[in-house]
Amino acid sequence: MSALAGPAKALRTSRAAAAVERARLSLVQPRRTPAPRAPFVVLVLAILGAGVVGLLMFNTHMQQTSFYATRLQQQADDLVARQQKLDMELEGLRDPQRLAVAARDLGMVAPGVPAFIRLGDGSRVGSPTVASPEDAVQIKPKPPALPLPLKPKPIYVIVPAPPAAVTTPPPAANTTTTPPAQGAAR
Amino acid sequence: MTQARRTTSSRSLRGSSEIRLRVGLIVIAMVLSVFGARLLQLQGLDPKAYAARADAEGLVTVPLPAKRGEITDRNGIPLAETVSGVMLVADPVRTRAHADKIAQILATKLDLDYFDLLANLRKTAPAGKPAVRFAYLARRVPSTVANDALAAVEKAGYKGVETRPDPVRTYPAHDVAANLLGFIGADGKPLAGLELAFEKRLAGKDGHETYEVGGGNRIPLGENTEVKPTDGTSLQLTIDRDVQWYAQRVLRTAVENAGAESGTAIALDTKTGGILAFADFPTYDANAPGQAPKADRGSRGLSNVYEPGSVEKVLTTSSLIDANKVSPSTRIKVPSTLPVLDRVIHDWFDHDTLRLTLAGVIAKSSNIGTALAAQQFSHQQLWQYLDRFGLGHRVEIGMPGESRGVLPPADSWSDLSRATISFGQGLSVNALQMATAINAVANGGELVSPSLVQGSATNGAGATVGTDHATRSRVISPEAAAATAQMMEMVTTEGAGTAPGAGIAGYRVAGKTGTAQQVGKACKCYDGSLAVSFAGFAPADDPRFTVYVVIQKPKRGASGGGTAGPVFRKILTYLLQKYAVPPTQTPPARLPVEW
Repeated sequence: MSALAGPAKALRTSRAAAAVERARLSLVQPRRTPAPRAPFVVLVLAILGAGVVGLLMFNTHMQQTSFYATRLQQQADDLVARQQKLDMELEGLRDPQRLAVAARDLGMVAPGVPAFIRLGDGSRVGSPTVASPEDAVQIKPKPPALPLPLKPKPIYVIVPAPPAAVTTPPPAANTTTTPPAQGAAR
Repeated sequence: MTQARRTTSSRSLRGSSEIRLRVGLIVIAMVLSVFGARLLQLQGLDPKAYAARADAEGLVTVPLPAKRGEITDRNGIPLAETVSGVMLVADPVRTRAHADKIAQILATKLDLDYFDLLANLRKTAPAGKPAVRFAYLARRVPSTVANDALAAVEKAGYKGVETRPDPVRTYPAHDVAANLLGFIGADGKPLAGLELAFEKRLAGKDGHETYEVGGGNRIPLGENTEVKPTDGTSLQLTIDRDVQWYAQRVLRTAVENAGAESGTAIALDTKTGGILAFADFPTYDANAPGQAPKADRGSRGLSNVYEPGSVEKVLTTSSLIDANKVSPSTRIKVPSTLPVLDRVIHDWFDHDTLRLTLAGVIAKSSNIGTALAAQQFSHQQLWQYLDRFGLGHRVEIGMPGESRGVLPPADSWSDLSRATISFGQGLSVNALQMATAINAVANGGELVSPSLVQGSATNGAGATVGTDHATRSRVISPEAAAATAQMMEMVTTEGAGTAPGAGIAGYRVAGKTGTAQQVGKACKCYDGSLAVSFAGFAPADDPRFTVYVVIQKPKRGASGGGTAGPVFRKILTYLLQKYAVPPTQTPPARLPVEW
């Protein structure tokens, strides 16, 4: 047992010594293996480049979309305005005055006496009367009065009575005597 | 040895980094202090000026005008509406050189005056003032038209003309209900009528938007603030546009033919008090208010007060019947003249002593008969009835400029005033008051306050009006109202009444003529001018519509029955037909008029 123990102990001691030796810290030569920089730089540049290009494209696209949106907005505004204009025209066509003029031109007048037909039994209610021109309503205002310069006072011409002796003077004589008299009246 | 060198080199490296840090720190501190100083300069010294300058750089603020509410008739047909329009403005500094060419294009495209355009395009400031950079070329042009014109100008290569938003208010039916609607001035401010009274409701609130632009396009993701506009609320009226149009035309014809000064016609829905038509003449085109005299742009039916005349007899006699003083068959001996105090009352026609029933007094429109009947009332009693009929009180339909009229207080009455007031002289009313009072008789004796606005709306004066707020109050009993309606039927009965021409064949029409002397402005006395009127309703036994027509100061031999009666009949006929009201097919009233 001891014969066996002797070498075993020696072995254990030497192993421990070696372990201690191994565990002792010592300054190690710093490893300065230069890492290959190129791939990293390329990667960073690539990311940067892609970012810049992407941003540029994104911006350009946004700008493009903005142009498009502006154009569409303009178009929408135009269409809204057009619709409103058409609505206005429609309202103009629905103007009761216009309709009345159109109806009058077709010879229509508002009925003087209202009368109805009951759809249930076909009976007449009221006293249906043929409309007459008197039932027509004047739909246009009277023309405005002429201004004074265009509406001169009537000029009265006193034509001297033909002498009793002269029988019916020829028309030519009348026309010659009238103008001077008119001039005198003025 | 190598180890020693490495140690020194690493130490020197460490030393240099410290220096670098310090230098860096100093640089950063210097930069930051520059920033700080700049910050102080920008924010501390004059921030507003800089903010304004920054805004001016590419920032655009666009007003977002609120859309003005429509005014519609009872069926939703617009009477006043707003369409997006623009104004064309010029920068004379840039347009002066080519003014003639630009003016030529615009004059053709927009139908404007060439010389006006030329003047505006060449506008110069008086000496010593800065140059004019802004001139109006056209206001409130529909935007499609303006954009076409602007495109033509730009295509021709001229600059300096641009458009700005300027909403257009249009009145599609021109003069229809113009006296009620009012109009909008050139600056976009309302100047009359409902447009003015309900400005707050109709106008809404303008918004604005600020954004950055570059080259005419909005910069995406740029600064952007928006305050949305609040559009105005529309206003629905009880007016029926077609009836209103028809009433205006019929009234105009009558006023023109009679050579009268003015006229008013009012149609009411008897049951609800809704005003179906309120025609005034002279009127104006609301699209071009400037072309009409100022006096024609208001509502005479509300602002003019006048003595109502014989139509008032309806109120007096219905009150007497309500008070059980008389009945339609009460016999009255009507002398040819009636002296009261120091005056003598006459009838409109010469007669010997007549033996008329009360129905006959109404049918023949006898002043003396009415005055005699009214003697059964004390002053106070008659005053109370007339007060309950609404005389002397504003009707308040939301329109500006309504006159109150005058019903003199009872304690100031003499026997003469009781006599004259009983037949409608010596008190004054506006047309709507009178229409409302007659409508109370039509509506079974219950006075319903008339409304112009459908639903409910509050005007600028703070009054909330509309059909939702119509009030009802009993003035006379239903029996008295029915008896009065029967007497009024005799007026339109051939051979019995003063206005057979106002009747409609097949219908029972109740009516009353009125011819009142008016007080002239100059002499403050009865100067011979008249107000002829006609009031009535149909069908007499189940009234649906009340129509009141008054024509002021007719020149040629006018009378209530002959001048206002046909207007009444035509408007009523139109209403009965349009609203499909069949005749009631009951036997017409046959009251004895004489005894």
